[in-house]
Amino acid sequence: MSETLLRVEELALHYRTRQGTVRAVDGISFDIRRNEALVVLGESGCGKSSLAKALMRVLPRNVAHQGGRVRLGEVEVSALPDERFRREVQWSRLALVMQASMNALNPVVRVGEQVAEPLRVLHGWSRKRALDRAVEVLELVGVSTDFLARYPFELSGGMRQRVVLAMALVAEPELVILDEPTSALDVLTQASIMNALKRIKRELDTSFILITHDVATSSELADRVALMYAGQLVEVADAARFFGEPAHPYSQMLMASVPRLRQRTRPEPIPGQPPSLFDPPGGCRFAERCPYRFARCAQDPPAFRLGERHRARCWLHAENEGNPGGGR
Amino acid sequence: MSQSPAPIQRPARRGWLRDLRRLLLYTAKRLLALFVTVLVGVYLTIVIANMGGQVDELRRVQIRSEAAEAVRADPAFQDLSSEERHELIERQVALEVERLRLDEPFMVRSVDYLQQAMRLDLGRAEQMHSDRGSRAVYDIIVERLPATVLLFGTANLLVFFTSVLVALFLSRRYGSALDRSVVALAPTSAAPGWFYGIFLILLFAFVVPWLPAGGMVAVPPPESNWAYAGSLVRHLLLPVAAMFLSQIFISIYSWRTFFLIHASEDYVEMARAKGLPSRLIERRYILRPTLSPIITSFLLMLIGLWSGAIILEQVFNWPGLGSLLFQAIGHRDTPVIIGSVVIFAYLLAVTVFLLDILYALLDPRVRIEGGQR
Repeated sequence: MSETLLRVEELALHYRTRQGTVRAVDGISFDIRRNEALVVLGESGCGKSSLAKALMRVLPRNVAHQGGRVRLGEVEVSALPDERFRREVQWSRLALVMQASMNALNPVVRVGEQVAEPLRVLHGWSRKRALDRAVEVLELVGVSTDFLARYPFELSGGMRQRVVLAMALVAEPELVILDEPTSALDVLTQASIMNALKRIKRELDTSFILITHDVATSSELADRVALMYAGQLVEVADAARFFGEPAHPYSQMLMASVPRLRQRTRPEPIPGQPPSLFDPPGGCRFAERCPYRFARCAQDPPAFRLGERHRARCWLHAENEGNPGGGR
Repeated sequence: MSQSPAPIQRPARRGWLRDLRRLLLYTAKRLLALFVTVLVGVYLTIVIANMGGQVDELRRVQIRSEAAEAVRADPAFQDLSSEERHELIERQVALEVERLRLDEPFMVRSVDYLQQAMRLDLGRAEQMHSDRGSRAVYDIIVERLPATVLLFGTANLLVFFTSVLVALFLSRRYGSALDRSVVALAPTSAAPGWFYGIFLILLFAFVVPWLPAGGMVAVPPPESNWAYAGSLVRHLLLPVAAMFLSQIFISIYSWRTFFLIHASEDYVEMARAKGLPSRLIERRYILRPTLSPIITSFLLMLIGLWSGAIILEQVFNWPGLGSLLFQAIGHRDTPVIIGSVVIFAYLLAVTVFLLDILYALLDPRVRIEGGQR
């Protein structure tokens, strides 16, 4: 639990639309160590999925600007041309479980073949060898071998989600990005998939980025938490620290808005709306909804270091640590 | 979470066996359904073309006037009295009515007609005959079929393959100048083929007389096979060009949109994330799942040959089914009209059956769900 696996610096992804430029990911920096699970929290439309897409380079046609540096292990991944990235990084080192993975399986190809496909195409394995490996990962995620010759439409939503998860793990990637892996499922299936994930994380040496808006579910898996707001990370911290004493006002208000089982506190909603990403306000993006707002909030706050691997993007912490910046 | 260590069998073979059984059941069901469909379609055509038996009255009147005309024109009957003549006419009419079984109720005869039609026994034409002199409706139609198949088959195959390939190319270059110009040109397909045909004839047969204005081969037909084929191609160029022009842009446009829609499916994006090469994605993730609709439109297009044929064949003086139908309607030759429809119904049924089988082979969703119900 020490070696840094992924380092992301000032990642940006802007889209071009009829109404103007959407700054979906606007200068995000974080890092992940081996076998660590980072939960990226944020409300809908804050750019979480775009973050996953930017990391995976699965981009829509209307990308206006793409920037930042991504380093995976020893490789400066963001500097690789597309073709090399596809052959050397995609899926073999970095895999993605997409949002809406209900539809992420090819409807006319048998489940086993689909799970085995990346090995056959990317590594040139034989059909037999790849299928044997597919059986292994399918069992790991809790899918019986009976399903191998089935088609995706014969599977339940939970089973499909497991198959997609197996497909992500099949090439033994170092990092798996899970984009809302359980949000379309019922609570019981959610729980059993989260359990499978926890087990996999124990058994394999894989790191995870879990993108979600579900604070309660994510807390089970998280080693670290990154909170996203309007295209930026407002706070990154160890999970215990984040869930215990969050530093950023948005984090505090978010935690106060989550219903709790054992405490007699009422959930407090956060008033107001997140700003539009078309033309984000200058200065702190949360200022409009922030109860602690003061004069300096008109300027864009840098990410202040609050401790080892703990940063918050808020002027309130300027005096705690007079040392702004990325900490590179 | 079933963590049971399930024994590793050969699941693929079991899957195939199961699929085969369902496929057979499905085929049998479809065959039965299609037979009933053709039966109903042909019977409806018979009833409608005979106007539910009303045509019998017209036919009786026609028979009577023909008999009267024949008796009046024949010098052998010149010296008969008007009673005798009247009696003779009545006898002739009665004979003809009996021969055509017009004395039996239409409903009884319609069932016989249906049986004959289903056996492709299409009867004899009332006025028309084939170029070889046969009056059998079957011969008349079969003689014309190759000409239509040649002309429309060539044009439609060209349009289909050109547009699918160009569309795949354009869907990769969405929003490019080429893509936008094809979209802009799509409305040119509002005009039918024969409309372009008229201008093409004017331009290339009269203003610059390079190509023949109409017909299928030169008159008299060339002796050697090569010269015959050459003449055929020269005669094909203008009508094929007319159809191509009128269909190509809308066809490219709609296929391009089709591919764009299917290229944004989640599983296509997933395949991109998986790092598969784009050729493979195009083949296995875009073309393969959409093969059923592509083949449907291909076969329906082939079977739809004669839908646009009537006017185009008339404009280019092409001796195909379209001009045959045009003449048959002009002559009110009911057996020929019914015969054309019967043959069309059969071709359509065979096509649909082929499609059903292909669907089941191509798309597991069809055969498996079809087998369970």
